[in-house]
Amino acid sequence: MSGTDSAPSLDFDICAAYRRILEDKEISPPLAAILSLTELMINSKAGTMFELVQALNDGAKNLKKRTPNPISLNAGCELFIAFVTLFPHESDSFGGLKTELVKQGQRYAAEALSYRDKIAELALGFIKDDSVILTHSYSRVVMKALLHAHKTKRISVYVTEARPRGLGLKTHAALTAAGIPCTVVLDSAVAYVMDQVDFVLVGSEAVVESGGLINAVGSNQMAIVAKAANKPFFALAESYKFHRLFPLSQYDLPTHNPNILSFPSLPAQSDAAHGTQPGASPGVSSLAIDGNPPSNKESPSFAHRTMTPEQIARNPDVDYTSFFGRRHPHTRGKSESPDSSRLMLKNFRINRA
Amino acid sequence: MAPDSYNPVNHRAVEVLVSKLRRRQVIGSREAALETVRVLRQVVSKARFSNIDQLVNLIRSVGKRLVEAQPKGNTVRKILHHIREEYNTAINGVASTSSKPVFSISNFVLQGQPRKQSVALKSEGSMTLKENDPDDPDSFARGLKPVLMEAIQDVLDELETVYDTVSKNAKDHIHSDEIILTIGYSKTVEAFLKAAAHSRNYTVIVAETGPSYSGHEMARALSSAGISTFLVPDSSIYAIMSRVNKVILGAHAILANGGMFAITGSLLAATAARVHSTPVAVCAGQFKLTPLWNLYHEFGALDFADPSSVLGFEEGNLVDKVDVMNPYYDYVGPELVDVFITNDGDHPPSSVYRLIKETYDDDDHEL
Repeated sequence: MSGTDSAPSLDFDICAAYRRILEDKEISPPLAAILSLTELMINSKAGTMFELVQALNDGAKNLKKRTPNPISLNAGCELFIAFVTLFPHESDSFGGLKTELVKQGQRYAAEALSYRDKIAELALGFIKDDSVILTHSYSRVVMKALLHAHKTKRISVYVTEARPRGLGLKTHAALTAAGIPCTVVLDSAVAYVMDQVDFVLVGSEAVVESGGLINAVGSNQMAIVAKAANKPFFALAESYKFHRLFPLSQYDLPTHNPNILSFPSLPAQSDAAHGTQPGASPGVSSLAIDGNPPSNKESPSFAHRTMTPEQIARNPDVDYTSFFGRRHPHTRGKSESPDSSRLMLKNFRINRA
Repeated sequence: MAPDSYNPVNHRAVEVLVSKLRRRQVIGSREAALETVRVLRQVVSKARFSNIDQLVNLIRSVGKRLVEAQPKGNTVRKILHHIREEYNTAINGVASTSSKPVFSISNFVLQGQPRKQSVALKSEGSMTLKENDPDDPDSFARGLKPVLMEAIQDVLDELETVYDTVSKNAKDHIHSDEIILTIGYSKTVEAFLKAAAHSRNYTVIVAETGPSYSGHEMARALSSAGISTFLVPDSSIYAIMSRVNKVILGAHAILANGGMFAITGSLLAATAARVHSTPVAVCAGQFKLTPLWNLYHEFGALDFADPSSVLGFEEGNLVDKVDVMNPYYDYVGPELVDVFITNDGDHPPSSVYRLIKETYDDDDHEL
């Protein structure tokens, strides 16, 4: 089995292909995943259907392992592999079938680029004239919808800063350039602006089976505030973002890592506090213990308001000031989404630090 | 493309219905639906077309006229859906090889979408349907029409029996010694309550439903059927809600998000019920499902009734000084409704979108 299967993944680096495809700003992770799987298929030497599916599964696994936020990517992989598995075998040769599958994948990716325009058209009915819209971070589909609505309707937009990556500023720049009145608000001011807003419009990283939405950190609090204020909360999602995942809590996402939420233990007396604390549930304290070794190192600097180099190293996206000073151009080339869900957890970190 | 250029008779039938709808001479959405089906049946039977698009466009243009008169095109949408379905089975019966949809990823994504499997294949593949036959342009119409008429008849039958099918399960919803609150006069609710009265002994409180006071009529109808009935003013709905076991409402239209338009006062009753955690059931035929959203209507459906029932002209000196508004419908949001009892079974508001996908074609949402 491993002879033919692992061979293609050895000489073909699916992650490199994935990153190269993502450089096109129009292509979102699920589509990039589909396209990189088609490339894997071109390079694969699989001679039977079983081998091919095996190779695709391996490639998908590889891709997932080496990408910081595999959620939306996974949606694309699953869609494509399910499609390949169920594709009717009508070609004479296996080579013909493979070419046909590759063609299907590429055709879909090309076709899917028009989905945002379709969504923008459909969203138009939900945007009434003279409305004030609150959006979060940067989303290509939301941008399309807003710019499209701007052609026929007067809209003004509040956008959250969306720390730690500050992508709200990108939204602000693009909307202002298009002539849409736009103001950046603090993430902590969502409840403050909510009364002024007609509805909330966000994009999505993935739509899960429970009907829930996975999106950049801060979307959840925005949805909760919108609900409390009785404002409509609309999410735009392309159909390839539907994902077979049923998260029951924030921590069920594959991007969760207990270290992010671990408590730094204070020197000496913290241990005593741990022992005597009656309220700590077993789950919570085990998380704390897991997180102990790294947190010990950073605890001396905990009193300072700035982050230590170690902290920055652990959460490379968090240091907002350095992000803007030096790393912005580099990060901008990447798609906005890859680790947005992780940020949800990282953000807690910044508040604590 | 207008129907009038095809046949003046259709034109007249459509025109008559349009004016009846405008003058509210057709009372009740079931009546309106029945009339619409009858008119469409005439249109189809008289229409001349040589391919399916011509027919669809023809029905659409009739639909557009009717929708302008009264903004509900459900029946037209449903008939278009049936026509396409019949057409597809007829065509596929002839050329079965080309029937399979193209297998592509985008279709694959859509496969998850609910679609009723073509219910009964009435048309057998025996006839040969040829579109755009240059020798005999009517042959297509001749071949397809009997099937279409049958499909339209089915819709008509469904509409005619809708009250019975809705109230089929009435006794599962109403239990003995319960106190039911209802508002307005809805024929569906009336049939439902009467059906439950056959096997249950219960009490109905009817809110009188100003300013139309259609609750009076409802109370009369129910008490004459031997149901113990109380008539209360609208202002006491909240106060009596603590005694009520269940609220049963009628609907004017059910929207894609699971909300609905219903007679004024329904929102009041539903909100009061929410405060007391009293279940709210809505009785409605499936023909009231509408693939539309409540997009920023401050007043339900923007439909206003005669202000004179609120402030009569006998109050002459007040009339200039006061703006009188008498909205006819309330918009009741999906969070206030617990269940829709339809002729197609009972559904929570969250699955209404699914029913709508099954009942209508996506292309027809805008007529």
